[in-house]
Amino acid sequence: MESTREIYWNVGREGLVDMYLLALATAGFIFLGMYRFWSRLAGNGKPVVRTDHIRARLAFMARNVLFQGKTIKTGGVGGLAHAFLFWGFCILTIGTTLVFIQDDFTDRLFGFKFLTGGFYLLFSLALDLGGLFAMLALIFLSIRRFIGLPEGYDTGFGDMLIHILLFLALFTGFMVEGARIAFTEYRSNMELAYWSPVGLFFAGMFDATWFHGILPSELPAIHKALWWIHLYICMAFLGVIGWTRLRHVIMIPANFIYADMEQNGKLVTLDLEDENAQQFGAAKVGDLLWKDLFDSGACVTCLRCQDHCPAHFTHKPLDPMQMVKDIGGSLSNGADTPLTELMSEDAVWSCLTCRLCQQVCPAQVEHVPKIIDIRRNLVLMEGKFPGDEVVRAMESIEISGNPLGYAPSLRGDWAEKLELSTENMDVLYFTGCYASYDRRNMKVARSFVSVLQKLGVKVGIMGKKEKCCGEPARKIGNEYLYQNMAKENIEAIHATGAKKILTTCPHCYFTLDKEYRDLGLDPAVEVEHHTTFLAALSDKFNSGNDPINVTYHDSCYMGRYSGVFDQPRALLASLGARVLEMEKNRELSFCCGGGGGRILAEEKLGIRVNNTRGLMALETEAEVLVSNCPFCMAMLEDGVATPKPVKKIRCVDLAEFLDERI
Amino acid sequence: MKILVCIKQVPDLETRFKLNAAGDWFEEADVAFRMNEYDEFAVEEAVALKGKLGAETDVTILSIGPDRVKETIKKALAMGADRGAHIQDDEPHRKDPAQVAAMIAAYAKEKEFDLVFMGLQSQDRGSAQVGPLVALNLGFNLVTTVVGFEYDSGQVTARRELEGGLKAVVKTRAPAVITCQLGLNKPRYPTLPNIMKAKKKELLTIPAADLAPGDALNIVERAAPPERKGAGVVLEGDAAEVADKLIGMIREKTGLI
Repeated sequence: MESTREIYWNVGREGLVDMYLLALATAGFIFLGMYRFWSRLAGNGKPVVRTDHIRARLAFMARNVLFQGKTIKTGGVGGLAHAFLFWGFCILTIGTTLVFIQDDFTDRLFGFKFLTGGFYLLFSLALDLGGLFAMLALIFLSIRRFIGLPEGYDTGFGDMLIHILLFLALFTGFMVEGARIAFTEYRSNMELAYWSPVGLFFAGMFDATWFHGILPSELPAIHKALWWIHLYICMAFLGVIGWTRLRHVIMIPANFIYADMEQNGKLVTLDLEDENAQQFGAAKVGDLLWKDLFDSGACVTCLRCQDHCPAHFTHKPLDPMQMVKDIGGSLSNGADTPLTELMSEDAVWSCLTCRLCQQVCPAQVEHVPKIIDIRRNLVLMEGKFPGDEVVRAMESIEISGNPLGYAPSLRGDWAEKLELSTENMDVLYFTGCYASYDRRNMKVARSFVSVLQKLGVKVGIMGKKEKCCGEPARKIGNEYLYQNMAKENIEAIHATGAKKILTTCPHCYFTLDKEYRDLGLDPAVEVEHHTTFLAALSDKFNSGNDPINVTYHDSCYMGRYSGVFDQPRALLASLGARVLEMEKNRELSFCCGGGGGRILAEEKLGIRVNNTRGLMALETEAEVLVSNCPFCMAMLEDGVATPKPVKKIRCVDLAEFLDERI
Repeated sequence: MKILVCIKQVPDLETRFKLNAAGDWFEEADVAFRMNEYDEFAVEEAVALKGKLGAETDVTILSIGPDRVKETIKKALAMGADRGAHIQDDEPHRKDPAQVAAMIAAYAKEKEFDLVFMGLQSQDRGSAQVGPLVALNLGFNLVTTVVGFEYDSGQVTARRELEGGLKAVVKTRAPAVITCQLGLNKPRYPTLPNIMKAKKKELLTIPAADLAPGDALNIVERAAPPERKGAGVVLEGDAAEVADKLIGMIREKTGLI
């Protein structure tokens, strides 16, 4: 006999009309809840197109939702449990859909049944295991949320309801299956029943109760009652999707579809010449992008962004999750709430734009652009800055072309004794302010030139014609100053005729390569950071060096922003270095404290970010701390020097390390 | 109510100055210029007063110099002043304080300004004479070195800085010249809409000769940078290395050890 079962056994098709009416009502109820929720989000916020390249968007969504990558990556056991719950329910949904397809289409219309034979066996087993995984995951998650009570979780009545309904849906599902198997397969067709192991277990329990008064003849009635109870519970849990945290099953996939598909972290270039613009940046909630408001509906308050944020971690007043939550909360009063009523100016200024919040967010919320937009309002509309020192830095950039206030004519002096090419150069080295003026970082510049010259690369610089790339100004919110700097640099770069630019600063690199294009930097001009440039040449370096223990600090802008993690490690390894990883590394690397324009600002609140990171470096007990960013160098050299346990670690740039060892 | 603010564009003091060919001033190529810091206080005070008194208050910015000073005037306009007067003078460093004051007074005469704000002194020349001489030429009252300022229908109440940390409160009546000192206020950073508006504000250029500066009483014949008397040495390395180097130097130069 072929393996299969009668679909709707014992229930009969006469109940199906009721079932579909119920399903329709449930769908309506979901829709009503989602409509109420969605309409509060939609209709406000500035326009931005997030529906282009729809195939790429759908693929991005499918990849992220189906694999649960971001949920698992930083979610610990809870994240893994969520993934199993999700996958379990996926299997159950697929199974239910197959039943629906066979019974209502292929069988009804063509008399074709596919839930038979080997496929049926696999179907039975998969559904049983899916349900089992979902149930185990749910039990774990319930204990965690309601008994383990992780700190800071925002748990309400709705969450209790979700957990109970999901559990009952799974449990009654197995009871229905058990009752059916007990009547149709148990003892009589065990070969088939083994393919439904969990159902078999429940069937065994029914079987056992026969000795306690339940007659096998009563079983069909019990089964039928259970089937309907199961159906009602399933409809209830589906129904609450629109009204509880469960709405994330719609909102998060939608948020992935609406993701920013531009280069990671590239900011929107404002049109400052727009004569009709009354407002630059975001003063009120409604000044943000609609997607920023939509984000608040996708956030499941999982705490990941808050737990990872280096500003929050070092006791600054910034809490990225609270910001997203409060933006959502304010929408019930329309979109006119001033953003600085939702978060303090100190919180706004605390952001390092390190993008770790976005890296760990399983809901694809975009935190950093919101903060930049709020900063833009403070700077461009109100002339406010985190401190007087930042105002001075802005004026220095404006007048002298660098935030440190040094004379523009001295910009190229670091290279005075080097023989740099002025003509026929292979590469233009965009030195950046710190390598041009800061004593420590000048050494990095000289080492880099030395490496290039050893490699026979003809390198030139722009000297006093080069200006600050504008990155710190832009990240602080000063879009006007940034664009002025960018335009002058672009003109100067084009005048050199260079086709390839190298930088030793990830901030310069990202700004030139990604953001200057919006303002007209010739797409034919290639921009590369020295990390990837040197890593690509690693086979040219002699690797017969003494082994040495180093640790590598992933700068935010080479790491998360540019996705460069492996190349520097490979280069270090090829130079005989053993890389000891810090507590937070690669995608989860911890900012040095100098990002987001904070390099220009004094750190007056909380504990120091650079010391916090410095301690992580010291704990590796490596001899050398290798970084590839002048801001990181400035922050970390100080950061490893001041913590109490006086261990020693030498801070060097990748270029210096290379120069020393070849 | 009409306010005049006199500002000067000065070289950034981080510049490594070189003597010019004539030997009487510094070489201006590659030098970054900015608004004299004390004049920023003057602009801020005028603009803040306008904010208090309302839109009928009109603030004029005056600056003497070559074309490049227009940038600095625009900055003051972006801070909130209403109009600019650029007194075109390609060699302002050849004018002495009396000539500068004479030109300002010639411009201001018959324009019925109630208040004239300017910096206590310039960061490049630092004569601190222009304010008092303008007051003298116009017959205005004068309060110098002001660190606190209040104005109420013609009545000026100013706090001035005296020697030794003492302060004096001075009352006088408009019209008056006020010279501003560090501590008076915190100059604002221009907002973007104001920067855009400033581009469209009136900015008249008047040739210096039209304002009859007269002859200089004080002429710079030759300027000379101070002679270099040995340079400081920065010792680098960790504490032990630095100590060794220091001991070596003491031993070598003094023979004490």
